[in-house]
Amino acid sequence: MIPEIGHILLVIALVLSFVGGLGAFALKRELPVLKISFILNLLLIGSFFALIYSFLIDDFSVAYVAQNSNTNLPIYYKFAATWGAHEGSLILWILSMNIWLLTFIFFDNSKNTNFSNYVFGVCCLVIFSFLLFTIFTSNPFERILPIPPINGADLNPSLQDFAFTVHPPLLYFGYSGLLIPFAISISAMLSGQPNKDWASSSRPWTLLACSFLTIGIGLGSWWAYYELGWGGWWFWDPVENAAFVPWLLAVALVHSLLVTENRNIFINWSLLLSIFAFAASLLGTFLVRSGILTSVHAFALDPERGLFILGIFSFFVLGGLVIFAFKNSTKNVASIYSLNSKEFGLLLNNLLLVVLAVSILFGTLYPLIYEAFTDGKQISVGAPYFEFIIFPFAILLGLLQGIALYISWGSTKSFSFIGKLIVEAISISLLTLVLLFILFDELISASFFTIFIFAWILAGSLMINFSLKPFANYLDFVNRRIGVMLSHIGMALLVLGVGVVSSYSSEKELIIKPGEKVEFLNKDIELLAIKDVQGPNFISKTAEIKVSDDKRVFNIQSEKRTYFPSGQVTTEAGIDTGLFRDFYVSMGDNFKEDSWSFRLQSKPFIRWIWLGALLITLGTFISSINLIRKQ
Amino acid sequence: MNPIRKQRIYALIAILAGSILAVGLVISALSKNLNLFYSPTDLLNNNLSSDTLIRAGGMVREGSIKRSSDSLSIAFTVTDFKNDLLINYSGILPDLFSEKAGVVVQGYLESEGTFRAVEVLAKHDENYMPPEVAKLLEEDE
Repeated sequence: MIPEIGHILLVIALVLSFVGGLGAFALKRELPVLKISFILNLLLIGSFFALIYSFLIDDFSVAYVAQNSNTNLPIYYKFAATWGAHEGSLILWILSMNIWLLTFIFFDNSKNTNFSNYVFGVCCLVIFSFLLFTIFTSNPFERILPIPPINGADLNPSLQDFAFTVHPPLLYFGYSGLLIPFAISISAMLSGQPNKDWASSSRPWTLLACSFLTIGIGLGSWWAYYELGWGGWWFWDPVENAAFVPWLLAVALVHSLLVTENRNIFINWSLLLSIFAFAASLLGTFLVRSGILTSVHAFALDPERGLFILGIFSFFVLGGLVIFAFKNSTKNVASIYSLNSKEFGLLLNNLLLVVLAVSILFGTLYPLIYEAFTDGKQISVGAPYFEFIIFPFAILLGLLQGIALYISWGSTKSFSFIGKLIVEAISISLLTLVLLFILFDELISASFFTIFIFAWILAGSLMINFSLKPFANYLDFVNRRIGVMLSHIGMALLVLGVGVVSSYSSEKELIIKPGEKVEFLNKDIELLAIKDVQGPNFISKTAEIKVSDDKRVFNIQSEKRTYFPSGQVTTEAGIDTGLFRDFYVSMGDNFKEDSWSFRLQSKPFIRWIWLGALLITLGTFISSINLIRKQ
Repeated sequence: MNPIRKQRIYALIAILAGSILAVGLVISALSKNLNLFYSPTDLLNNNLSSDTLIRAGGMVREGSIKRSSDSLSIAFTVTDFKNDLLINYSGILPDLFSEKAGVVVQGYLESEGTFRAVEVLAKHDENYMPPEVAKLLEEDE
């Protein structure tokens, strides 16, 4: 009964979103948009809870539950399994789009009724199309009748993990957040002349979407690192790229909206970027869920679904572009800026981010293009392509970011600008030297670039403390600048983490039996014992390993788990975490008797990557909240 | 010069430079980093030099996995049900590697019918089949 109620709620939501969407465009008067969004929200939450309930009571007559759960599954993971696969995650996705809409409407205080109506209308239509997709191709409430299975197939073991339970919701929240800037842009074009007011209403929401995208991607990376057992944190997998490209575009949009808001220029560009950022997030959905690209992220593969999403994608993106071409009455105000102005700096920033996004998208889609043009020949574009591409962009963007915060609008007074550059250059040289001296025994060119860019961005972000009159109005300063400082410093930490871990990681594979000792990076590593451990829904071989160096002695456990009923084997890596170095042990295969192969890895500074992502999340979040409060 | 025109020219130069940089990078990166996928049959029919990095794949033949007892070397046979390819690898295999499962390996063709893998690709779902392999099996049926 409960699954049917969930299904019916979805259908009611479908009808309501359709009526709401049409009504918003047809009726030229004030509509109870807040009420409708709220009712839509209740319907979707009700439906989502119906699905959660079916998981919690092990209702295996529901096909989706039967495929993704099992009586042995710990209760917390039964709950999280709700969004563990395609159908359930769609419900979550739609729900989060609706939450964005509700929040936007709640804080919206625009005087222009048409504007609010259109934002509401666009969101409703997108929600409608996703509901249509869910109900017709991916209904999570479908029953297996008349004979339901006695037990479920189980949740993929790599997903039985804390980070997994929070990574998808946050990522979806980020993805779907790009709906709001899109809707605001469409609505601004339809209801009047997009100008700086439009930009100031869009910017906080873009920042917020950016914040959630960052934490979502960051958590995904952290999860892959410790859960997949091979110690990588980014694989340039199509699905990762599908999240990275919208992130790049969202970051570009945040910066171009800043220009539009302050100088009333770049209007068309900001409008287009809003459309493309949303398009990229839809394209990501399409790539992930159609299975057309080889990816480690396995969702059920179904060409029909792919076609449907492609339809949604084309409708909204082409629709957006048509409105842009014919309904857009933007008048660009001529504004003069020089080469050393903030405007020009942000123009370069946008150029680099967008070109980088396009290059990454191109590499991701190239296997498809190649296959189409060579009669089905299959290729793959690997990590080296993306690393090669991103390196020069990262350096240029880093250089730009270092001076970003203290160049001014219009034109920067040349003396103070050069003065600050000199101060900065000196402080950076010192910092670089000190860091190189402290951190590394050997120097390779990549680490020099890394540390230089790190120090450059860091110094540039902190320098603004000196460019304003300090303590004159300290609270105001904190309010205005803390967000941007945090996120820029976060970027510096991220760059340092990525650079160092890519250049200085080391690894060793070996076979060892209990009682045996080996040496790795001046550490003595001893395998103490292999134990059999019984978990709630798995059995494991647990290796107890003692690591000692001249400073300390500690134990690490690494496991090889076999989950039942699926029989799937997973590796649980043993990680000794540290701010400056992670020590990572993963268990390989069993050889004769009790000897096992192990992979030992040292991952210096890897924590800084996620620390950086966390700061970016925090910084963009604070900026966004400040802006929303001011409205 | 008219300052607005001057400004437009600067912007245009920046955009051109950015695009040229990107196109150049993409072309040179693609020319170095494309890995073609071959089935065992394709490999027999193509004369490939042994220094190009390629991908190969198929099903791991039942009973073909041979491990050394004291080193990380491993050999197994991959088949597309028409022809076989012997894969040599040294290292730890991904958890989902098993007999009668699809696999994609990246590496170099050594001599006829043998392949030195530098990487065996892992997928994190056991029901997941790399599209390349799925396509091979489809053709076979």
